[in-house]
Amino acid sequence: MIASIKANLPVFVVIVPLFIAFILLTFTRRMRLVEGLVIFAEALGLVCAGYLAYTVLKQNGTQIIYQLGGWPAPWGIELKVGSLAALFLLIIFGVCFPVAIFAKGNLTEEVGSNERITRFYVLYLLLGGALAGMAVTNDMFNIYVLVEVATLSCCGLVSARKHPRAAEAAFTYLILATLGSALVMGGIGFIYITTGHLNMGFASQELKQVWQDNPHVVWMAVSFILVGFGVKSALFPLHVWLPDAHSQAPTPASAVLSGIAVKGYLICFLKFMYGVFGPELMQEFAVNRILVFLGLVAIIGGSLSALTQDELKRRLAFSTVAQVGYIYLGFGLMNEKGLAGALFYLTSHAVIKSTLFLAAGAILAATGKKKISELKGIGRKMPITMATFTIASLSLIGVPLFSGFVGKWHLLLGSLEAGNIIPAVIIIFGSVLCAAYLFPVIRIAYFEPAPEEEWKDPGLSQKCSLILLSTVVVILGVVPGPILELARRAAAELLML
Amino acid sequence: MIALILALLSGVVGGLVVAFLPQTKRGLRNFIVLFFCTCGMIFSWGVALKVFAGESVRLASEFGGLTFSLDPDPLGMVFGLIASTLWLITAIYSFGYMDGKHKQRTYYIFFLISLSMTLGIAYSGNLVALYLFYELLTFATYPMVIQERSPKALKAGEKYILYSLAGAGAILIAIVITYVYAGKLDFASGPILAGSLGSGLGWLLLLFISGFGVKAAIMPLHRWLPAAMVAPTPVSALLHAVAVVYSGIYGILRVVYSVFGHALVRQLGINALFLWVAGFTILLGVIIAARQDVLKKRLAYQTISHLSYILLGALTLQPWGLAGAIMHMICYPTSKIVLFFCAGIISEQTGETRISRMGGIGWLLPKTMIAFSIATLGMIGMLPLNTFWGKYYLMRGSVAEGRWPLALVLIGSGIINAVCFIPIIVDAFKGERTRANIEQGKRVVFMLVPVFLLAAVSLITGLFPGIVWPFVQAVVNYFF
Repeated sequence: MIASIKANLPVFVVIVPLFIAFILLTFTRRMRLVEGLVIFAEALGLVCAGYLAYTVLKQNGTQIIYQLGGWPAPWGIELKVGSLAALFLLIIFGVCFPVAIFAKGNLTEEVGSNERITRFYVLYLLLGGALAGMAVTNDMFNIYVLVEVATLSCCGLVSARKHPRAAEAAFTYLILATLGSALVMGGIGFIYITTGHLNMGFASQELKQVWQDNPHVVWMAVSFILVGFGVKSALFPLHVWLPDAHSQAPTPASAVLSGIAVKGYLICFLKFMYGVFGPELMQEFAVNRILVFLGLVAIIGGSLSALTQDELKRRLAFSTVAQVGYIYLGFGLMNEKGLAGALFYLTSHAVIKSTLFLAAGAILAATGKKKISELKGIGRKMPITMATFTIASLSLIGVPLFSGFVGKWHLLLGSLEAGNIIPAVIIIFGSVLCAAYLFPVIRIAYFEPAPEEEWKDPGLSQKCSLILLSTVVVILGVVPGPILELARRAAAELLML
Repeated sequence: MIALILALLSGVVGGLVVAFLPQTKRGLRNFIVLFFCTCGMIFSWGVALKVFAGESVRLASEFGGLTFSLDPDPLGMVFGLIASTLWLITAIYSFGYMDGKHKQRTYYIFFLISLSMTLGIAYSGNLVALYLFYELLTFATYPMVIQERSPKALKAGEKYILYSLAGAGAILIAIVITYVYAGKLDFASGPILAGSLGSGLGWLLLLFISGFGVKAAIMPLHRWLPAAMVAPTPVSALLHAVAVVYSGIYGILRVVYSVFGHALVRQLGINALFLWVAGFTILLGVIIAARQDVLKKRLAYQTISHLSYILLGALTLQPWGLAGAIMHMICYPTSKIVLFFCAGIISEQTGETRISRMGGIGWLLPKTMIAFSIATLGMIGMLPLNTFWGKYYLMRGSVAEGRWPLALVLIGSGIINAVCFIPIIVDAFKGERTRANIEQGKRVVFMLVPVFLLAAVSLITGLFPGIVWPFVQAVVNYFF
């Protein structure tokens, strides 16, 4: 039994959340069971992901290849768990699990009846499963399908909140995300025309030999993929849907959307760029320089927009746009340090941003105040929530000994190794801007007199979830060893060193 | 080793203890603050005994793939001793000054935490640790800047944070470049970049100095300092005249002597530029000071000017210049803090902050104004006060480097300093001696004791500079 599960682990992590999502609807009347099942599914996923990561780290560099149904590639679908997939699986379930704990017994106000909550959880598990699938699959069409599943679940999660503005935001998101999917589909089509393969490994090998026959088609494929995933992962000029969607969604949904959904598309993009087109082709088409440039624009644009927001959740949403810029920048550096830095930054941002969104949601639920200027003295009334918010903020700003600093340090090393000081300067400038938009929140929360109202920390499960996440933030900063090692190996694999 | 850890921890632990004390227990709180400040000082002296005896007290551990190490050398030790000693003295003054003020607990929490951060900067053994504590010091001192919570204070706080973070950012880039260049970041094994030569090194030094220059308030990066004068007087005195600004100065000394090494800086030839920037800051700072009417602002601009004395000495790259810099670093606070403390007493007892309205104040506060006069002589740099010696070595260093105009700059600055402060004293004792002495009560005693203690120190070390000289010599021997 155990042995067969171990052997089938790569598909197990995808199937478990999907399967539980389907049976969930039969338990609508028994909320506790539903919540229990969701937490169980995420916990199981986390254990599996942890085991996979452990295995990958232990067996030096060999990847776990799994053939679905026993059909060998290129005919069958292949799942591949290397360092990148293991890392991302760990991120997905590492965020989903605490967020599910946070959601426990906390959704009635935002989502409504038990039936609606159950549907919310179904979408929540579908999203997790789809993202896990994106992490492990090595098949392009598979990625497309999973991207669609994830996109539709995200839209559903946003619109789950009982508020007209949430529906509006979800609709905007749906339209733009579908456009993105279509572009991705087009890109995959072009690759398929050129190479005749849907398996990424085979397509990549074929592409190296034939791309010069039809360079324009390949060029189109590259640009379609770039723009398609750019829309989905909110690359700066294409981010317009994100602030509304992420700030209008119910709190746990905001956390996973900003924390991992965006990252899923980033990972897919990485797989396409490095795994299919390969570093040489990227350089040929100057994709790396485009990425660095777009990343820099995103850092500045996102941070400056965040500065102008007075609504806490919107400010956090714009901050996500800026942080995505850092990750794209790292993708474009084309060296091991930069790429590893970007992947580590991705990890730390996933944890940080979900903490921030959960804390912001808890504050919103307790006080009903949306605006930052109204949160005076909240640090005294809700000490635990605000403490976790502060830890996450300091980490995002990049104070040493927190996880954000480790990521930024490697990004800086990477950009200097690439022989360019401009990205380094912008990275630092971004940190200062980040301090400028997060520090006032902390200042207002702690150093302004509190009003006479009864505001309290949220319930036990929410507190546990917040503390868990912020502990991870600190641990990632102090002992980033294993995660950094995974990121480093993933970078080396992608660069085919 | 244990002394080093205890010296570093005493501030943070004290801060935490104060944080968990009830607001109302003032006496107990003051006692705890005093206790932990004393601990910080005693343990620092404990470490100092070993370091000056030539032993190495090193502590390193790896976090996040980076080594953070503590490894005080004589220069760090001098800074650590200055900071920890003055912290204790300022704590006593605070007991008087802060009595009856709002938010005392917050003040003392961060007062103690800042002590740890400052000592961390002083004792750091590599650039990463230095950067860590440098960044944390910004956050730890911020709540004290906005102590009043008025809009003006908040604005000043914002300015302080953004200036400091931008400076720290420049430093971080420079550190990463250094790391890429040399592959190590430790100070102990001689200058990090010694022997390397590249076209970009001059720019790297520029980046470092402008990064640290923000906290060292080199013109034109000084704007946050006068704004930060909205903080309570003990904060202005200790942090904005000594600890925080010294951390910038200390950073520059480190960069010049431990990262590049004086030989390499001379080879790059870029020190001439910074010498003139320092000279310019010295003169312009004190000239702007003379035009200020608010006493604390005048003192702030004068701080800017005096900090550049230290830079000037360090950048002459001469043993005598460095000796002057260290001497000035040790002696200058004894006068400057007295001036700030006196300004605090004046504003607390009479409510007066503007110089133009301080006529006749000497009859109200005779002891305060006597101390003020002594410190003024110190600022001008006259015998028998200790700052004379610093200035003397600085001039000697400039002449040895062949830049005698800088010696003239120092003399000129002394004269303008006199113009700045002598009229205040003269005005203070003008008019008829009619009004009563208002230096009464427990609060004033708490404030006057540190003032006279420091004034006495500056007199004694001025008459017997041999007391300070071994420290200076240790630093100079370490680097030359």
